[in-house]
Amino acid sequence: MSLGNFDSLRYFLPELTITATILLLVMVHVAGKNRRSPAAALLSLVGTGTAIFFALLTPAGGGMGLFEGMVVLDGFAAFFKVLTALATAIVIFMSIDCVELSDKTQAEYYVFLLCVLLGMFLLSSATDIVMVYLALELVSIPSYLLAGYLKGKVSSTEASMKYVVYGATASGVMIYGFSLLYGMTGSTQISAIGNALTMGTLPLPAMLAAVMVTVGFGYKIAAVPFHMWSPDVYEGAPTPVTAFLSVGPKAAGFAVLVRFFYTVFASPDATGGMWKLTSSVDWTFLFAVLSAVTMTVGNLVAIKQRNVKRLLAYSSIAHAGYMLMGFVLLSAAGLKAILFYLVVYLFMNLGAFYVVVLVANGSRDEDISHFSGLGTRAPLAAVSLAIFLFALTGIPPFSGFIGKVYLFAEVIHREVYWLVLVAGINSVISLYYYARILKVMFLEDPVHTGELSVAFVPRVMLTILVVPTLLLGVYWEPVIRIAESSVRILIH
Amino acid sequence: MANLFSSIHYADPYFSVLLLLIIAVGMAVGFVFLSQALGPKKYEPVKYSVYECGVDPFTSATIRISVKFYLVALLFILFDLEAAFLYPWAVLFRDLGLFGFVEMAIFVGILLVGLIYAWKKGALDWQ
Repeated sequence: MSLGNFDSLRYFLPELTITATILLLVMVHVAGKNRRSPAAALLSLVGTGTAIFFALLTPAGGGMGLFEGMVVLDGFAAFFKVLTALATAIVIFMSIDCVELSDKTQAEYYVFLLCVLLGMFLLSSATDIVMVYLALELVSIPSYLLAGYLKGKVSSTEASMKYVVYGATASGVMIYGFSLLYGMTGSTQISAIGNALTMGTLPLPAMLAAVMVTVGFGYKIAAVPFHMWSPDVYEGAPTPVTAFLSVGPKAAGFAVLVRFFYTVFASPDATGGMWKLTSSVDWTFLFAVLSAVTMTVGNLVAIKQRNVKRLLAYSSIAHAGYMLMGFVLLSAAGLKAILFYLVVYLFMNLGAFYVVVLVANGSRDEDISHFSGLGTRAPLAAVSLAIFLFALTGIPPFSGFIGKVYLFAEVIHREVYWLVLVAGINSVISLYYYARILKVMFLEDPVHTGELSVAFVPRVMLTILVVPTLLLGVYWEPVIRIAESSVRILIH
Repeated sequence: MANLFSSIHYADPYFSVLLLLIIAVGMAVGFVFLSQALGPKKYEPVKYSVYECGVDPFTSATIRISVKFYLVALLFILFDLEAAFLYPWAVLFRDLGLFGFVEMAIFVGILLVGLIYAWKKGALDWQ
């Protein structure tokens, strides 16, 4: 039940809106005399907002294949579209406030940002391995450009270079895995590949393909051992870009990871709400180990970081590890927990980066010493950062706690006790380095004197990010219900 | 993991691919280690100079190449691909009708935006 090309266009409005915005932005950039005008940022905000609006209009029914089954229109994709577009909108606000980016040709920057957004939309709805690959590249290539956007800064160029080399290798390995899948099954449609793998089992090539595909997706979500690029890229890239990469592409990576593995290497169980492995590839154990290693490495290395941006990079690796726990359980409740955690993570992580942008605007550097005395220099920013960091740790009553409760509860429910033990220990470790920032902010004497002035728009944006971080800690029912209905679509 | 090796079907067509993979990787890695282990190691300055036929090398091989060459290459790929799409479209022009025409107009329009961008950014000046 997939539509042809022309009939699909009607349901492709979010993507078409973004494409039109990108083209308009290019024209604005070429025509504009004043390259620093906020017109580009406003235009991209309007485009993103319209895309969210159209994505919300998605009919919530069963998945409808578009473009001869290249992409699918379902609640799961719509969830990730809204999530990633929201992240993009917040990052656009962050970029307006960022001094680092102010003297650049800004329209180009927003073009790259929206190109990544378009790629993330396609990635979260792709149902064909060719489309998965194309969308992954559409996310990756503008990301390389964004990471190296500060041409005069050596670390930014280095970040871009490392990102390109690592990304090219990862996607090369991944597409080799795809070619094995195509060779085994004769189809590029992931549902057809899944069906074919159920019937005849070729354990060795299937396992090889699963591992190779994991390399590509693992690189996108920055899971250990495919995380090597992320600390350097996160440190070198402009801070709004770092914030963007740690949320948007990571969420889209999870979307494609879930859709791909739950369609190709698993099939819905008859009992409902559960999946069972189809071929003899036991990828759940593989990912459980990856999850444990990812959170442990992320947290342990974060302890000794002095650069706050780099610290948050390792913390975001650790969070990918937590979310992977929900992925290995083969249950709808596990996936629901991932989706909910991503919503929570969006607000708390972007919020933390927002404060880093504001502090770095004054100091041109993200060393932890610049945060000293922030509690008196900029109380609003300091208190917001404290809330975001507590939420990231997972302390009640903040939203991060509820996110972790859902993840941990489902892991315990499926009786994977060793994994929940590792995650528990990791949460404690993470408290140490998050609390160290708090200590520097509130207990140490300021290195810089004078107030850190925070303009009106960042104040509003910080408040907008704090509210859901607090609110989702006490009243999360609506979001969990949306997450639940988004996952349900995958079972059919 | 335990049933992995017992489940290898030797008659499987993919088994030969696996075998080829193992032999290829084994040979590549093996020879590097063999030459490392068995080869005589005599260090002479001439051995470490750049090998070129006839004349002595006079510049480093890693010279900087003007970025303009890359720009031309990028633009070439862009418009080469456009031509590759235009040919089959032109052959089927009558069958595709108005729909095909509009579709191609949008496609060329997007590329046109790209060309204007490249032009304005000075990618076409060779200074």
